[in-house]
Amino acid sequence: MREEIARLHDAMEREAYVTDRAMATAAYLAMTLHKPLLIEGHPGVGKTEVAKVLARALDAKLIRLQCYEGLDVSTALYEWNYAKQLLHIKLQEGTAATTREREAEIFSREFLLERPLLHAITQADASPVLLVDEVDRSDEEFEAFLLEVLSDHQVTIPEIGTVRATHPPHVVLTSNRTRELSEALRRRCLYLWVDYPSYEKELRIVRMKVPGIEPRLADEVVRFIQRVRTRRLSKTPGVAESLDWAQALVALGADALDTDVVDETLGCVLKDEADLRDIRSAVDKSGVDAFVAGGAA
Amino acid sequence: MSREGSVVERVIAFCRVLRERGLVVTPAESVDAVRLLEWIDLSDRIELHLALRSLLATRREDLAAFDALFAEWWRVSQQEEQRSRDRASAPKTRLGAREEAKSENAATVALSRWSSTSVVPDDDTPASLAMPSANDSRAKKDFATFDSDELGEIERLTRLIARRINARRSRRWKPARGGNSSRVDLRRTIRLSLKTGGNIVELARRERKLRRTKLVALCDVSGSMDLYSRFLLQFLYALQHAFARVETFVFSTRLVSISEILRRDEYRAALAALARSETGWSGGTKIGASIAQFATDWSRLVDRRTVVIILSDGWDTGDPTLLGDAMREIHRRAGRVLWLNPLLGSPSYKPLTRGMQAALPHVDVFAPAHNVASLAALGRHLGL
Repeated sequence: MREEIARLHDAMEREAYVTDRAMATAAYLAMTLHKPLLIEGHPGVGKTEVAKVLARALDAKLIRLQCYEGLDVSTALYEWNYAKQLLHIKLQEGTAATTREREAEIFSREFLLERPLLHAITQADASPVLLVDEVDRSDEEFEAFLLEVLSDHQVTIPEIGTVRATHPPHVVLTSNRTRELSEALRRRCLYLWVDYPSYEKELRIVRMKVPGIEPRLADEVVRFIQRVRTRRLSKTPGVAESLDWAQALVALGADALDTDVVDETLGCVLKDEADLRDIRSAVDKSGVDAFVAGGAA
Repeated sequence: MSREGSVVERVIAFCRVLRERGLVVTPAESVDAVRLLEWIDLSDRIELHLALRSLLATRREDLAAFDALFAEWWRVSQQEEQRSRDRASAPKTRLGAREEAKSENAATVALSRWSSTSVVPDDDTPASLAMPSANDSRAKKDFATFDSDELGEIERLTRLIARRINARRSRRWKPARGGNSSRVDLRRTIRLSLKTGGNIVELARRERKLRRTKLVALCDVSGSMDLYSRFLLQFLYALQHAFARVETFVFSTRLVSISEILRRDEYRAALAALARSETGWSGGTKIGASIAQFATDWSRLVDRRTVVIILSDGWDTGDPTLLGDAMREIHRRAGRVLWLNPLLGSPSYKPLTRGMQAALPHVDVFAPAHNVASLAALGRHLGL
């Protein structure tokens, strides 16, 4: 293994993130090749966390752009500060400045409100980590625009000109696959698929993130969740749910899972009424142990 | 040949094979793949695997194929390397030269076999779906026997429907002249005010762009739908041409995407291609399995701006709960779910089949689709 990759792996682990080789390799290459890293996976498997941990591990600034339907340039890139512009025009009244001069003045950097994308390419000291979260929730038009910014690390503002990044950001994009991303965007990125973790990995995550948990309880929680994921549900629980649940159980002082405890706290794990009913009845019928062992159909 | 040089060549060859196997690997990616080699430990197989995969397999569906191809490529590469080492150390005899020629040949054979046969297991598709079922009648149907008057009428109708769908407002803005739906555009207003010394005389306005709805159509082409499916297919063809954002699937015992075929310009060419493709035309029906396949494999096509249209009579030979679950999932994600049932045109028809019963709770609009008039009525359900 390349030493730098091992070091990045260790740095991410130190930031309390359970990392694997695929992730460390992809993150390292994204940085050295200056390509965005596209992370896809089910909800709640810790995709967003990668960017946060990476920023901490690199001691870089994290800039986040949360995508949503209808996200447009004025929210993502820049906006003019209208109030300030108006005020300035009023203050300039009576001076000899020509219209052209005044225009140049109020459409200068001073009156520009930087939104995350512009902010990310105007960092003076060091490359930040730019997290473009849930890019699948933005629309195709925005995706095309994003592609432009990401491939050139530069932005053209009609009134000012082209702003070029002196320290190109390390870009992490996440997607829950609610929409198919364009081929062009995919090709521009390195790709990492984050699956639900294995039993061993999830146990490590739970024990790392919920330090007070008894080893036995951690084991039971993870086994239970792993079992739940094998069933056909409308919302399969992610790692976030395992952690919520483990935390709730610790807070309640539970030291093992039994039918009553599961019944009371299952809402941490399952967020859909039908799923909840399904799993509850299975657990009630056979008991926790048999359910986890796979006896309950 | 230096070792570095041979690795570069082999990586480029690997990229070509990936491309042949349908992964999107352009020359730009090949260049990146070579560039990437200097940043990793080439003697570490896992690292090379993970690194190349992150670059060259950029969607989840490609990962399994990539893994299989990489394993094969690694094996062949190792053999080659071993041979070139042997060649370098052993003194060449005539016999050795012949052996060498033979093994070189074997490697070429292995490579070509490897690029042409399907060694890639498709994990997402159950074995029963990958094979055509016994009921699959693959008769080469002649679709080109439609009445051309009817085709024209359907096209006109479809264009109307498409215009209706497109005439929705999006959340994005564009400059406007005025009108009820527009609002003041501060940015342009301030710019205009400069002419008048900062006094706002003229208001610039902006309005919402038109919003685009997406359509996903799933058309049942099983035997029981035979009378209607060709007719509905014309509708889908016209729809896809009038309206860019349509994804079309047909199913009988399995689901097949035909968007690409329908996108071709010439209607007859599209029909001919459809006849050639193995869509299980006029075979048995497994609605549940087909819809479930859509819900798991293609759900990313569906969001709140998507109208999902299912064209089927609901005669299902499979498990109704499978259909119900899949419909629930689709309904949860979609903006609207339409089920068009040609049988609904008959006054005596009641949707009592088990499949229909399971699906109906998850359907927003249940409507007939047996003639041009019913398709005309469809227009008002399609806008979101």
